[in-house]
Amino acid sequence: MIEVLHAGLCDLVMDQGRAGLGALGVPAGGAADPKALAAANCLVGNDPGTAGLEITLSGPTLRFPAGGVVALTGAPFKAMRGSGGAVGWNETLVLGEGETLSLERAETGCRCWLAVQGGLAVPSIMHSRSTFPPAGFGGYRGRPLKAGDVLNGGVTTHDVHLKRARNPASDPKDAPLRVIAGPQASQFDDKGLAAFFSGEYQVGPASDRRGLRLTGPMVSHSCIDLPSQGVLPGTIQVPPDGLPIILGWDGPVTGGYPVIAGVISADWPRLAQLRPGAMLRFVTIEHAVARARAPAEWIIEALA
Amino acid sequence: MQNSRKGFHPRVKPQAGQQGAIPSWSWVGERGLRVVTADATLARYMMLVSRKFGEIEDIIPADGSILLILKSGAAPSAELQLALNLALPEAPPVSGTLHEIPVVYGGAFGPDLPELARRAGMGESDYIHKHAAAEYIVAFLGFQPGFPYLRGLPGAMHAPRRASPRIRVVAGSVAIGGTYTGIYPASGPGGWQIIGRTEAILFDPQRKAPALMMPGDRVRFVPRD
Repeated sequence: MIEVLHAGLCDLVMDQGRAGLGALGVPAGGAADPKALAAANCLVGNDPGTAGLEITLSGPTLRFPAGGVVALTGAPFKAMRGSGGAVGWNETLVLGEGETLSLERAETGCRCWLAVQGGLAVPSIMHSRSTFPPAGFGGYRGRPLKAGDVLNGGVTTHDVHLKRARNPASDPKDAPLRVIAGPQASQFDDKGLAAFFSGEYQVGPASDRRGLRLTGPMVSHSCIDLPSQGVLPGTIQVPPDGLPIILGWDGPVTGGYPVIAGVISADWPRLAQLRPGAMLRFVTIEHAVARARAPAEWIIEALA
Repeated sequence: MQNSRKGFHPRVKPQAGQQGAIPSWSWVGERGLRVVTADATLARYMMLVSRKFGEIEDIIPADGSILLILKSGAAPSAELQLALNLALPEAPPVSGTLHEIPVVYGGAFGPDLPELARRAGMGESDYIHKHAAAEYIVAFLGFQPGFPYLRGLPGAMHAPRRASPRIRVVAGSVAIGGTYTGIYPASGPGGWQIIGRTEAILFDPQRKAPALMMPGDRVRFVPRD
């Protein structure tokens, strides 16, 4: 059992998502960096598909009445525990009975993931425990956590193996996001394409798991009345105002705006760490090159 | 009414001249394969679903195209490439379920009805009659979970989306957007023109089949007072 003493900005129960329901209008959703959550689960001895928490920008204060075995991956947050012990990232943490874990602000990046030994016991809705806030289902009552919530689960087996994890992804944080030109790229004029590919964009304040709204050079195009087409995370649409939107994990499954490009899946974990105000650029790569760059696998090591 | 339509199988009936058409395709990221299917979208969708290709994670039909989402690192197999180029079957294996949807048209439930009727050069009751007389096909679902894009709206009733979307459209609102009519499953912002409301539950994540309608299903609206 875990008590939420203080809620963060947007604490969501997440697992690996519910892929395969696009025809119903339901996106796959799930952790914005599924491999980071899977790694956190491995650190506490869970199955990689177990539900944990996705924490955004500012985190919660959680109390573990019976103690717990937990792990954090993703963006480093300022964090404290009741015992005064260090809160390390990418390693197994053992919390004592009644101990609190407080996550404050993200020091860099945007999101981290908290896995708890035994997992979070919320109902499985359409084969997943992930929260889908736009339609209010999944996770804990279909919404972000609030102070006073009590999460069931987190039952420790007392079988604790201390481990640490490493993410071998080595791209510098300021490297351009790698994209493949999209189905409507040819309908953008030279000025629009030049603006998009040579410009620098900033993540706007109205960004969330549905999409990153960018501000920066306007991308002009002549597309009007485009029929709705299927989209997926990383798809970059350009609405009539010329300001690109990178669709996120909870975005719609179809969209009617022209698609100039798509971020390759190896860079989706980087999308998860872009906070409002972050700067970004784009660079095109070939499809064959992109497919060889699947998201990097985390390395889990046992500590003595 | 249903009996008189026995044998009507719109779900996978290809349009004349489409059987031999080779779909063109393009990439959306490295995992999204967008296949242009024109008028044969439902037929191609049903065929791809029935084949259960191992490299495909999801299949999303839309307006004249289908998006295949490939599993991470997967390439389209030779079998899939062949299936994308294959002529479509002529005999449909299944026909879509017919849904009869009760609707209260106009008034507070359909604020845009008077303007749309005027635009179409019809009286309000004539407009309602025409909307309810047509049989629609669920072309695809999108925008919100369970939101059906219904094809079959008479040409005179086509209408653009509102210049500025409403902040809140109530769940069950029956609406018109472009060449489509549709039903909002959940309350939220929306830009389509609202002509009525139904109490039908379009999407319930707890239900065994969460979406009331699936691509290829048929829909008729039944006016209620």
